[in-house]
Order: sequence, then structure tokens, then C-alpha cells
Amino acid sequence: MDQGSLQVGTQNVPSPLEPIPSSVVQFAAADKLINIGRVNSFWPLTFGIACCAIEMMATGCARFDMSRFGAEVFRPSPRQSDVMIVAGTITKKMMPGIKVLYDQMPEPKWVIALGNCAISGGPFVFDGQYSIVLGADTFLPVDIYIPGCPPRPEALLEGILQLENKVSGWNRWKDPEKA
Amino acid sequence: MIKDTVLQSLRELFPDPEPVVEEAAAESAEGDTAEDDKKKAAKKKVEPRVNGVIERDHAQYGYDIDVQLDPGELLAAVMILDKAGFFLECVTGVDWIKEEQLEAVYDFSRYDFDLCRVVVRTRTSRSEPKVPTISKIYPGAAWHERETHDFFGIKFDGHPHLVPLLLPEDADFHPLLKDFKP
Amino acid sequence: MSGPIHIQPGETFTLNVGPQHPATHGVLRVKMEMDGEYIVKAETVLGYIHRMHELMGENRTYPQVLPNLSRLDYLGALGYTHGHVLAVERAAGIEVPERAEYIRAITVELNRVASHLFWFGAFVMDLGGFTPLMYAIEDREYILDMLEAVTGSRLTYCYYRFGGLYNDIDDEFIDRARAFIPRMRKSLKKYDALVTGNIIFRKRLEGIGPISAEMCRKYGATGPVARGAGINFDVRKNEPYSVYPEFDFDVPVYDECDSLARYKVRMDEMEQSLRIIEQGLDKLPDGPIMPKKKPKLIKPPAGDYYQAVETARGSFGIRIVSDGTKNAYRFKLRSPTYSNMSLFDEACEGMMIMDALAMMGSLDLVIPEIDR
Repeated sequence: MDQGSLQVGTQNVPSPLEPIPSSVVQFAAADKLINIGRVNSFWPLTFGIACCAIEMMATGCARFDMSRFGAEVFRPSPRQSDVMIVAGTITKKMMPGIKVLYDQMPEPKWVIALGNCAISGGPFVFDGQYSIVLGADTFLPVDIYIPGCPPRPEALLEGILQLENKVSGWNRWKDPEKA
Repeated sequence: MIKDTVLQSLRELFPDPEPVVEEAAAESAEGDTAEDDKKKAAKKKVEPRVNGVIERDHAQYGYDIDVQLDPGELLAAVMILDKAGFFLECVTGVDWIKEEQLEAVYDFSRYDFDLCRVVVRTRTSRSEPKVPTISKIYPGAAWHERETHDFFGIKFDGHPHLVPLLLPEDADFHPLLKDFKP
Repeated sequence: MSGPIHIQPGETFTLNVGPQHPATHGVLRVKMEMDGEYIVKAETVLGYIHRMHELMGENRTYPQVLPNLSRLDYLGALGYTHGHVLAVERAAGIEVPERAEYIRAITVELNRVASHLFWFGAFVMDLGGFTPLMYAIEDREYILDMLEAVTGSRLTYCYYRFGGLYNDIDDEFIDRARAFIPRMRKSLKKYDALVTGNIIFRKRLEGIGPISAEMCRKYGATGPVARGAGINFDVRKNEPYSVYPEFDFDVPVYDECDSLARYKVRMDEMEQSLRIIEQGLDKLPDGPIMPKKKPKLIKPPAGDYYQAVETARGSFGIRIVSDGTKNAYRFKLRSPTYSNMSLFDEACEGMMIMDALAMMGSLDLVIPEIDR
């Protein structure tokens, strides 16, 4: 399959709704199928920093069971994972490490900011705070924000489902609120 | 009771004791402001506390013996406690900005049922804070002293590795000083 | 490639057990100088989750600091809030009604069981056995359900107030707690059969990671680390607080000083916590949960006050230096994991790295508590 001049590694793989430049040979049905395969097997990076990590682990365990969505395979190595779930407060000392881990992940990759601390600093923002970074989106491109302190495991599952929709445009089930 | 033996040996460190006044702060906080203006300035005590040993009520304060001494006598007091079998709970600091002093506070406690908590305090000047290290006697103090240095800037003479522990390696600020601005 | 590379005897390389590692239980970095598989020197680097709780204690009034204590050690959050609330009540002289103290003791012990369960699952996972984690977290979910119905949160509780509680427990909580105790006892037998007798587990832990009683004393280690070294020290018995003198429970102490002893101490502590919960539910008195006379603004008299409680990891202490205003002048948190971890650098010299990581797991670390 000749991919033409499509550069791998510099951009996210587009979802079927985004137009692809015409110089590339386009396999519409194959891309859609590949995206559905991707979202059914997100492999998160084990990167729990603080309290939200416990809820992330509880989501991976028997009661809430992330594995029915394909996402229970936590890989310790960034080279083998495609979602980075930033769970916990980011300090200025830890930030270069997180950036290095993000850069080491191969494309396509996504970021979920779990918990108030990763969204905007959380309950640790006060006059005189010198040590934390106010949110993961100051240095990472975050795709999904999950609020809560800590968010319930069901909230993390909903976040994963929303990421699935964002990546592939496909829904597992009909949204009950839409008629 | 270990408390009496320890009190005895600690009192020997002060060969010429001035009459140790029980801190007036506890009563004057409820009472009226009859004393002097210093009390209104949200200070811990009416007059500077003299060096010495005070016995405290455990139910009210949480500890039994309260010792204040100069930095030069610190090692002698800590060696008495080490021989008596106390363990080091923590080392911390307090910034008394109005009196231009930094205080280093050491907490000791015991493992057996003969409960006796000892608090050792020592004051040093704010501009040149220097206290001898106790990490030769209690190796666990190494981390506590590094943290106190991080937060207050107190230099511990003789510490093997006085680099920042909790702050970044190149930090040059001390967050718990009262005039700290981030 | 010419051939195998030979490391000369005495030549070491630096291995970074870095901030992102599944076995460090948080963001902890240990720089190890290695000679093959043996550790020559280890140096712990902290500060990756330093959020400065102590400065928040100074900038905020006493009630405003209450939610922050749970984030310190999120697995045993109720124990820490208990310590804070007792310290301020001691400083300000607030009386607590008996029913509130009993409910506090029951919920703290439930939280202790939940914390030990999580530790158990994570510890065996460190050694390579992934299954007990699933079982342990399933049991823990029962406890979290009970506590969520009463307090509103699953992990970071803010249930205690100065003087008592804000929400009373109902009959459903009592029934669920009573039903949980036999279920947990059955689970403990299951863990014993599945894990404690396992030959691989025993070979990984027996005789590994010796921490002597003298070392504990010099570093100030408390909790299961000290009790696994033969020291009979539990703040609930040595320096009793709250309603613990009313309960009849034992303190498990093992003499072997190795990782298996620390493991056994924690498993036995879960059984003792169940005994306390049972007795607490039996003796629960009726009455109010908040005192009638409570100061509107908490302003303890000037002085410094100390309170120690026994949490799942050891003796947690709070030192409040007050100057009579509504903010604390100095809010010092003495965390047990800090003292427990400080002996790791000296204790792991000369060990193989897999033994050092087994020892680190048996110390039960929660890193935000070290960094505060």
C-alpha cells in the first residue's frame, strides 16, 4: 500500500470526518476499521502520581472493569502504550519527566487528564504555592478532561468512552438522552 | 519512672538555673490584656522564655518535658536522651519573625509503656542560623534536618549532605519563612 | 560486535529506579549504584509530589484545612483527619460527645482494613502475583460502599468536624458493617491459604530485608515496620487517645525483623481491627454527635500542642503552634512513612535489587505523605 507523502509521527491519524489531503491515497473503509480497532484496545501508560491513581487502579479491577472496553492492559513502558492518563498533581519537578514520557510514546497517542489537579491544579492552588503546575494542558495536548477529586471510576469509564468517540466517531451504544 | 530520671539529667545541664516561670501565655490568653503591648502583637509569650526545663501536662499539651537550650548544649541533651532509649520523632523549625529568631524543635518519644515525650528547642538568629547536627547520634535526623534547611534556611553544622530534599535541587528560597513571596 | 563486555570487579553503574515505576507506589526516585545485581549505594530523591501542605495550614483557618489532610495519605485518609481533629480539639479545648468518638473509631478501623487490603494487593503484585490484587480490591469495595453511604466520598474523606461529625450513621451502616465482618474473616483465611503459605512468596520474603530494632530506634520508624522488628509500640496502647482504652484488642509483634514479619503484622492487624469494629458496634451509645457548646471561631490559646495517632503506616503526629489567631502559626505534620523510608538507603546496601524492592514494598509507602 503506497501511502504517498503521508508523514508518520508528525500528526495524529485523522478521524474519518476530517478531510485528508488529496495527494495521499485514501482507503476510507480501512481507516475507519483501523480506528475502531484502535479505540477498542487503548493501552494506558501506568502513570499514577497521587490519589487519582488509586481510582484508576480500582477502575481496572473487578468491579468497574475497564477490560470490557479493552483498556485494562497497563503498560509500564511508554513505548508500548497509546493513552497517557495523567492522574494526580503535577509538580514543577516532575513536569520534565512527564514531557519525556509523552515524547517517548509512539504516535498515535492521546492524553486524558484525570482529576482536578491535572485539569487546573486542584485543591492545592493557593497564594504562595510555588511548586505545582496548574494543569496538564499547560504543556501537553489534553484530549479528555475528567473532573472530580478523585473522580469516581464510572467517570473514568465515561471519559474513555468519550475518547473512543472522539478518535473514531463511533459510539458503542445510542446516547439515551438523544431521542 | 523514666520521666523523673530524664528530668534529673536534663536539669543538670543547667547548673545555675534561674527560677523557671511556667509560661504565662496560657492564662493571659483567656485573661485580660493587663500586661504589656508585646502580648497584643500575637506573640507566643509575654517575656522571652529563659533556658530551662519545664514539665508539662500531657493531656493539655501532648508532651511531658519541654527543654529550651542554646545551640551549644544541644548535643549534650540529645546524648542524654539517646542513652535513655528515646527515638527521634521529628525535627522542625518555627520562624519567629518578630523576635528575629529561628527556632529548631526536636521531638523525642519512647517505644515502651513508660510514656514520656520530650521536646527540645533551641533558638538561633534569623540572619545567620546555625545549629549543630544530631545526625551522628540519630542518623534519622539527616532527612529531617535537610527538610528544615529547605523550609527555613537553618544550617546544620557537620551535616554530611545538606542539599535540598523536597525542593528542587537548585532552589534558593525557603518557603516557610514568614516573609516568603513565591 | 567484538564479544561480550566484561565489567571489571568494583566497577559500578548507576540505575535510576525512576519516578515512573510500577513498584515505587507513587513518584519516588531511588538512584542506585549497582555492581551487577547488588546495590552498592542507594540515594532517595524526593520532591516529585511536594505540594506544601504545611504552608496551606498556615494560610488557611483551621476548618479550611480539614479537606487537605485526606490528600496526605489517601489510602488511610480517616486516620489522618482523626489526628488533625484531635489535635485542634486538644488545643482549643473542645469536648467531643461519646457517640461521635465511637463512630470515629469504627470508621478509622474500617479505613485501616481498607488500607491494608490495598497494600496487600499491591505488595503481592510487586512480587509478581497479579491475582490477589483483584480479590483484595473487591473486598475493599465493600468497605468503600459503606463509607460512601455515610460520608459521601470513596477515597478522600472529610467526615470529621471539630467536636464530632457532621453526619450520623444509620441502621443500614450498622447492618452492613456487621455483615462485612464474617465475610472479611473468610477472606483473610483465603489470603492465608493463597498467599502466605505459597513457597515462592516465602522464599522471596523470608530473611529478606532485615531491619533491626536498633535501626528502627535511630531512624524513628514506627508502625508495622517497628512491630516486625520486635518492638511493641502502638500509639493506641502506649499513648491512648479517643475511646481506644475501651476496646480489647492485641497488638501483633513479630521478632524476625524480615519482610515476612512485616507482612504478617499487617495481616494480623486486619483481624484486630475487625475485633475493634465488632466491639464498637456493640458498645455504640446513643446521643448527639456534635457538642452543645462549640466556639464559632476556632482560636486556640497561644502555645504549641502535639497529638499522635496510630495510622495504618505508623505514628502520625501533628504539632500546632498557635499564636492565638484563627490561622495556625506553624502546622507541622510528622508523617510515619518519612521516617520509615529514611532507613531504606542504609538498609538496602549490599542487597540484590529484587530483594530491595521487596523490602520497599513491605515498608508500605505512600509517597505524597513523604513529600507533603
